[in-house]
Amino acid sequence: MTSQPLGLNQALTPATAEHRKAFETKAFEILSQKFEAAMDPRDRWSLTAIVPGSRLRECVHFLRDDPAMRLDLLLDITAVDYLGYPGHDAARYAVVYNLRSQRFAAHRLRLKVWVEEEDPQVPSIHDFFEIANWQERETWDQYGIDFSGHPDLRRLLNHIEFTGHPLRKDYPVRKRQWLSTNDPLILPLEARLEANGFVVLEHVAVNSPSVEETDLLGKSAVEKINYVEKAK
Amino acid sequence: MKVQTPEGEHVDLLTVNIGPSHPATHGALRAFVALDGEIIRAASTEIGYLHRGFEKMVEQGTYQQVLPYTDRLNYCSAILNNIGFSHTVEKMFEVEVPERATTLRVLLSELSRLIDHQVCIAAAAVDLGALTNYWYLFNPREEVYSIWEKLSGARLTNAFTRIGGLYRDTYEGFETDVRDVLPKIEKGLDDAFKLLEHNRIFIDRTRGVCPITAEQAVSWGWTGPCLRATGVDRDLRKDDPYLSYETYDFQTVIGSTGDTYDRLLVRMYEMRESLSICRQALSRLKPGPVNTADARLSLPGHDKTYHDMEALINQFKLVYEGIRAPAGEFYGSIEAANGELGFFIVSDGTGKPWKIKVRPPCFTQFAAYADLVEGSLVADAIACLSSLNIIAGELDR
Repeated sequence: MTSQPLGLNQALTPATAEHRKAFETKAFEILSQKFEAAMDPRDRWSLTAIVPGSRLRECVHFLRDDPAMRLDLLLDITAVDYLGYPGHDAARYAVVYNLRSQRFAAHRLRLKVWVEEEDPQVPSIHDFFEIANWQERETWDQYGIDFSGHPDLRRLLNHIEFTGHPLRKDYPVRKRQWLSTNDPLILPLEARLEANGFVVLEHVAVNSPSVEETDLLGKSAVEKINYVEKAK
Repeated sequence: MKVQTPEGEHVDLLTVNIGPSHPATHGALRAFVALDGEIIRAASTEIGYLHRGFEKMVEQGTYQQVLPYTDRLNYCSAILNNIGFSHTVEKMFEVEVPERATTLRVLLSELSRLIDHQVCIAAAAVDLGALTNYWYLFNPREEVYSIWEKLSGARLTNAFTRIGGLYRDTYEGFETDVRDVLPKIEKGLDDAFKLLEHNRIFIDRTRGVCPITAEQAVSWGWTGPCLRATGVDRDLRKDDPYLSYETYDFQTVIGSTGDTYDRLLVRMYEMRESLSICRQALSRLKPGPVNTADARLSLPGHDKTYHDMEALINQFKLVYEGIRAPAGEFYGSIEAANGELGFFIVSDGTGKPWKIKVRPPCFTQFAAYADLVEGSLVADAIACLSSLNIIAGELDR
């Protein structure tokens, strides 16, 4: 049991409102001094600190490792699309990082980075938290936010042939898309083999879509339906 | 696939899909693996088979209309999701639900946790080839479903809570039914314990299989029983108590090695604690209202609606425009059966949520799956998967 970091196997003192307030005051003071953080007035219940995208990585690194902060659990990464939000006057998107501590029960905060519509980019934090890899993939998939430096920014929940980013406010709810093939996954598998020290000597041919599926490529949904109906 | 191993040997690897059409992957999880004999050298996973656009759908209706969707997140313990969502919205209003509703929520939470753990343990044992446990655990589980049916009208997707309280008070004889079912669950659990805990085959199949260290588990964002199996003593019911959990007497259960055996055993021991919490909650149940009187959240009730103009308007506004959560951004979470279930809500002050992001506990567990199974046997990958208790409803949303 020596490999365990001190304290994780001991119960925490339960968080109280006072503890939480004290942490939020202290954390915000440090964040505003070190990383030009601003308080987000939209969060009237707890602390959401807005940091510039350029300072995000050092800020996350600091919050994770600083002995007084220890926000070592990345609960979630998501984005918010404010297109049409009443009275909104900042950038269209925000990427939100939800952090919590496994060392101190009262330590919780969210970081927010504004992302402009023209260039939706944020630096990736996949190397600080293992889970960030998938959370960033999901955010890319749903909102089209580009996490620069992410090693494998693929769609996660939606299909590989899907076009667009469905959680954007301008994505029509009732829009339907024709999806024909399955994800071969061969390239990610080869990448994992190489990461595990293997050298791939002969690449497997990617399952080529059947003749019918190839014929469907490039056709509109209506054309595809007509094509399949005719083939029946 | 011809490869050169790290040792310089040339081998031909076989690529195989484990799932989605495999009994252990429930038609919803897929791992594409490269096999060297029976050993998994690399794995790549795909999710999204059950993606139905939960987060897009909930933006279309009112807050009340979100509730039935939450049933479909973790459908093995639907009421826990209902409680998580209602609790989060109530926190935005800073409204407390009446005492009876709180106690009932604790009771229903723990019963849900029990039936969720039963699914996990029973299915894990079946995946290992031990069918008997399944009946011992699922027979009493069926009786809990009968209670759900009498309580809410539905077995699986209960939608039993409301923002500000519960759908309705319990039926006559509810407490007796729960009192009767608890010893049956306990008996089934004890039988499963006797069959599994010191079973040579079970131990050989699970101990030391796909372990994870505490640091790795935290970095992967794990919470709940899978994290506790690594020896990390964290449970939101203790660390950040909600629904007055601090007043209940129970222990958190932790493992030591974070392997498949620990993950399953932690769940089994947790069931004992949940049984104890259920009994404590039963003894506290007193008659009283189950919905808050706060007119911003609760319907006025038929008597008032039909006889009082203001109440009629209130009913009309709540139903047609929805509960108007205060504008702002809020994250609330509870300890669900698999870990921290959180809801991040963005409200623009109208009756429809601007955005709701679910933080599902399974997501973090399955993200680590490829890492966990690399280097182990195909059969171990199945044992590991069932110990993680991945529920595709909340994984894919």
